[in-house]
Amino acid sequence: MSEFEPICEKCEERLQPFLDRELSEAERLEAETHLAECDYCGKRYRFEISLRRYVRSCCSEEMSSELKAKLANLRLAE
Amino acid sequence: MAEAETDARRLATEARDRVRFEEEALGLADQVYRVARRLVPSREEAEDLVQETYARAFRSWRSYTPGTNLRAWLMRILTNLNIDRGRREQRAPDMQPMEEGDYFLYNRLEETSGPADEERIVERLSQDSIVEALSNVPHDFRDAIVLVDIGDFSYQEAAQILDVPIGTVMSRLHRGRRVLKSELAESAVSDGDEP
Repeated sequence: MSEFEPICEKCEERLQPFLDRELSEAERLEAETHLAECDYCGKRYRFEISLRRYVRSCCSEEMSSELKAKLANLRLAE
Repeated sequence: MAEAETDARRLATEARDRVRFEEEALGLADQVYRVARRLVPSREEAEDLVQETYARAFRSWRSYTPGTNLRAWLMRILTNLNIDRGRREQRAPDMQPMEEGDYFLYNRLEETSGPADEERIVERLSQDSIVEALSNVPHDFRDAIVLVDIGDFSYQEAAQILDVPIGTVMSRLHRGRRVLKSELAESAVSDGDEP
């Protein structure tokens, strides 16, 4: 990777709709063609994917067994 | 006594349907809690909210149509209760969330701590900073992120749960993720400033 990597914003606007599969077929193909040859955008796309995964794992908190038992009791109390 | 027999059968069927409903609903509790926990600020509030949701669901189980999406049905109850109780913290009216472009956070992380493997660079963000950044996203945006990215609901399901058009879910999701990244960029910069 070069120290003077040129800044590229070509795919920035399409990042979220691309990952969310909201682009039209033509737009998607265009983005894919660009991503195949642009390391700058490619890195940022891969970063976004790992960020989403990371947010999900950091923000997933399991419920306590006490709460689970309380919920089951709500059912029996009826 | 054909009538009594029919009645008995009907009651038995209903009891069976009810047990099935309750078991299915309880089987989804982990997923319901995971979403609830990020919709409200504290664990206590999330636990209360989930309990109220299940109490209401068990009471009104007959209004659920078997074979339809029970997870979304439960979540709809939960988000409505959350709104009804006025639990959602209000954002100051003049506070517009800061939004940057979608490459902003990556650029900032690279600037502050040098280039790295783009799939490992997220690890420079602490778990606490992620949780805090998400809690700072205005609730309309956050609800969409929590439902789709943490709860695994489709856009269509999220639209039904929040009672907004699907296009609104998309735009809240996109803007919310940008706000989230701006928040993270800010916390990454202030962490970097520490001696």
